[in-house]
This record gives sequence, structure tokens and C-alpha cells, in this order.
Amino acid sequence: MSSAWVYAGRRLGLAVPLLFGMSLLVFGLMRLVPGDPAVAVLGYKATPEGIRALREAFHLDEPLPQQYLRWLASAARGDFGLDFRQNEPIGRMILDRLPVTLELTLLASAGAALLGVPLGLLGGGRRGGAADRAALALGLVGVSIPDFWLGIMLILALSLWAGLFPSGGFVPFTEAPLENLLGMALPAFTLALSRAAVLARLTRAAVLDVMQRGFVQYARAKGLGERALLVRHVLPNAAIPIVTVLGLQIGYMLGGAIVVETIFTLPGVGRMTLDAVLERNYPVVQSTVLVIGALFMLVNLATDILYGLIDPRVRRR
Amino acid sequence: MSHGRLASAGLLLAAALVLAALGASVLPLGSPTAISKDLALRGPTAAEPFGMDDLGRSVLSRVVHGYRVSLGVAVGAVLLALLIGGSLGLVAGYAEGLAEQLIMRPLDVLMAFPAILLAIALMSVFGTGAVLVAVSLAVVYTPVVARVVRAAVLATKVEVYVDGARALGASVPRLVLAHILPNAATPVLVQASVLIAIGILVEAALSFLGVGVRPPTPSLGLMLADGRGFMLEAPWMVVFPGIGIMLAVLAFNMLADGLRDWLDPHHAGGRS
Repeated sequence: MSSAWVYAGRRLGLAVPLLFGMSLLVFGLMRLVPGDPAVAVLGYKATPEGIRALREAFHLDEPLPQQYLRWLASAARGDFGLDFRQNEPIGRMILDRLPVTLELTLLASAGAALLGVPLGLLGGGRRGGAADRAALALGLVGVSIPDFWLGIMLILALSLWAGLFPSGGFVPFTEAPLENLLGMALPAFTLALSRAAVLARLTRAAVLDVMQRGFVQYARAKGLGERALLVRHVLPNAAIPIVTVLGLQIGYMLGGAIVVETIFTLPGVGRMTLDAVLERNYPVVQSTVLVIGALFMLVNLATDILYGLIDPRVRRR
Repeated sequence: MSHGRLASAGLLLAAALVLAALGASVLPLGSPTAISKDLALRGPTAAEPFGMDDLGRSVLSRVVHGYRVSLGVAVGAVLLALLIGGSLGLVAGYAEGLAEQLIMRPLDVLMAFPAILLAIALMSVFGTGAVLVAVSLAVVYTPVVARVVRAAVLATKVEVYVDGARALGASVPRLVLAHILPNAATPVLVQASVLIAIGILVEAALSFLGVGVRPPTPSLGLMLADGRGFMLEAPWMVVFPGIGIMLAVLAFNMLADGLRDWLDPHHAGGRS
């Protein structure tokens, strides 16, 4: 077997105990909720019968290790039990909302890459030039703008004042693709800007690093033009760190989606998590936190493996 | 801007904001909590350049007082994380082997969640309030600090001067505290500045979402949440608190950038 596959296998092997630990943490955390979880979940509607039914449904009377194993076994099959408030399977609710979150994350990732990478490339290619100043400024200011504030400002300026975009709500892509994209434009940009800033910074740094290498100076000495130099020699060599960081940013956006979905009232998993937290609906919190956490970990794992496949040097670590 | 100037500009801005937050009660500002019906939603004037909110409270005064919470929570969280994560990273890096595994693998689990998600989950369990936000943030930061310190210790302890001190009979605490720790300070300082910047953002986000600081404590995130309902009539209610957050975050990011370039030109990205 080639070393690339050994490396990929090893990373996968490390992911299993990590996922296990994550489930243990989420389970343990929800058991730390003060008071009776059944009472907390049912809230003011709690009746003795309701509490008994919930205790039974969640097997709250069993010893903790048994509760955990039972929960883990069902969660692994995608069965997260019933949401006591909506009377709907939690797994189903997550599946219904996941496409919104994934679409938002993908659009934002594409936006961040299209904005950040070219800017960093141009900036690093001519140090001290206008593009370089722009990359540096975006790199610093972009990561300092609170995303929820950016979202509010965009709604105020472009939706309420200019009337160019809807200020919230969601239309599925399959029903009205154009309306869907128009509605997703502001949320995706809100989520993308700070990540574009990170990418611009990193691309600039990677390009500057490659520009100093001997083969670039050799190609330049041979008389190769700056543009060809940048595209043919610098970009392929700077691509490895860029791909890695892009992967990490996609994972980061899964967390940022909680904030952005709330501002733009998008029915995604992030908003579902926050609503559940505010309602103290712990079975739902437990499930969505685990699902988002697992997705985050998988994206990072895929990035790690991809990195190893592209760059043979990484595998030795 | 040169690196030295970036760091000094960041330091100056951060210092000014910290001073304003500390001296908020002696500065010539209106009360951040006094309600006045006839001033409600009044726009910016010379006396009140940030305008008044829906209850007639001074937005400027609330922003300055809000910095107490913002900076207090962010700095408190980072100090707590430095104490816990720093010690864990120190032990893990110095001991290696089983102790390192026992310390670092559970911390990996904490890092496997998006930071904001973990903070929200922690807040959902422990309730709301400024102190709890700081504690939650410290939990999120602990693995980050532990990793940075561990890496610095691993790199430092093989240096010749550490071997020399050991050969001369220095005890382990002396080796660690006098020879290894001071050399781990650079990356930790840069990381701490970045984490303060992120902490200001996360506190504001949590408060904005309703799982952070409780009203009526003036918090920049809460002000934005309140202002959202009035953003057409009184845009100043959302514009100025947002700029306030951005300035504070920018200050600590500039400080971190400047420090990083100044102290270590070959740095390669951190967690954000």
C-alpha cells in the first residue's frame, strides 16, 4: 500500500476515538444541567404524567453508562429520539434543516475563496503595491468585523433602504433557484467576509514565501514574465497551505452559521440549535451539537487527508 | 505600516479602550442606565454624539460601559485559560509520554467543536451572566493555550542552555520556571492577544443571541440585539455599538499582528 493511503488510514483511525470523546462530552454536559432534565425540558407544561413519560422515553432512570450507550447506539443510526415539544423525530428535523446550513456554508466558502485567494495572490505577487495594501487591510479589518453586526448593516443598507435583497426567509433552491440565490447572497457574504480575510492573509504569506525560492528566481532570470511566473510557478506551490486553510474555514463556518442563520431567519441547523438552547430543549441541543461537531470534525479530517495526499512531506509527521 | 508601528498603534488603541472602560464612571458621560422618556430615540447631537436608545439612555455612555463587560470577560477568560491551559501544556510538554497523552487527548475533544458552538452549549448548561461567559470562553481557550505552550516547551527543552542548566544540577521546577517558561512567553503573548480579540467577538455574539450577559448590564452585544428592533427609526442604535466592538477587536488583532511580526517573523497562522 502506498504511504498516502497509510497516512489517510492513520488519520481516520485517530478520528474514531475523537468522535467517541465528543459524544461523551456532549452527553456528559447535558447531564450537568442543574435540576431534573425532564422538568427542564417540559418547562411550565410539566405534569407528573408528562415527566414520567419523558423519563421513560429517555431512560432517565437507568444508570448513566447504560443511558450513554443506548443514546450512542441510536445516534449512530441517526435516531436521536423524539422532540417532546414538536412531537417530531429529532433526526428528521435535523435532516430537513441540514441542506440550508450546507448551502450557506458552501456558498460562503466559494465566496471566501473567490474574494480572498486572488487578492492575496496579487498582493503577494507585488509586495507593497495597491493589491498588497488591500490584502493587508482586508486581512486585519475583515477578521475584526463582528459577523452579526455586518449582517445587520447589510440588511439595513441593502434590504431595508435600497430594497435590493430580501431581509430574511428562505426559499428552497429546487423551488425557485434564482430567488434562493438572491436570498442567500447576503447571509453567505456575511459569513464569508472574515474567512476571505483569513484566506487573503494566508495566500499573501504563502506567495511571498514561494517567491523567495530558488526556482522562482531562476525562472525570472530566464526571462519569464511576472504573470506567467505567478500562475505557473508560484500558485501551484502556494496551493497546499491555501487548500488546508480553506478546509479549516469551511469547518469554522459551520459554527458561524448559528449566528448568520439567526440574523437572516434561515431555517438551518444552527438556528435550530440556538432555539433549542433558548427553550432549554436539551434532547435537541444534545443532538444538534453532536451533529454539527461531527460535521466540523469530518471536514477537518478530509482537509487533513487531502493535505497529506497532495504533499508527501506531511505524511512523515 | 511597519510592524513596530502596527504593534504600537494597537497597543495605544487597546490601552485607550481599557482606560475608558476602567474610568467609565468618572468620565463626563451620562448614566448608562438612567431612563428618560422624552429623550427616547433622539438622534446624535453635539452633547450625545452616538444618540439615545429606545429608553432614552445615552448610547455613548452604554458603549463605554459596555467595554467593561467586553474587556473584562475577554481578559478574564484569557487569564483563566493561561493559568489552566498553560499549566497543562507545560506538564504535557515537559513530561511527554503517558502524561502528555492523558492531558492532550481530552483537550483534542474540546477543540473538535467549533468555538462558538461549544461556548453556546456550555452557556446552555450553566446559564447566563458575565462570569459564566468568561468561564465558558476559558474552557474553549484552554486547549488552544495548552497546545501553544506545549509546542513551545517541546522546542525549548532540547536547547543547549537547558541541558547545561540540567547538567549543573538545576531542579526540575527551576529548569521549567527559569529556563523553559520565559522562552515560551513569545508565542503565548501573541496567542493571548488574538484570544482577547476573539473573546470580545464571542462575548458580543453570545449576548446578542441571548445566551451571554444578562440585561440591564450594558453589553455591546445586547445593545445590538435591542437596536435591531429600531434600526429603521434609530440606526445609531446599531451602528455605534457595532463600531465599538470592531474597534476593540481591531486593537487586539493589530497588537497580535505587530507582536507576531516583531517577535517571530516565521509564524504560521493560529486558530481563529
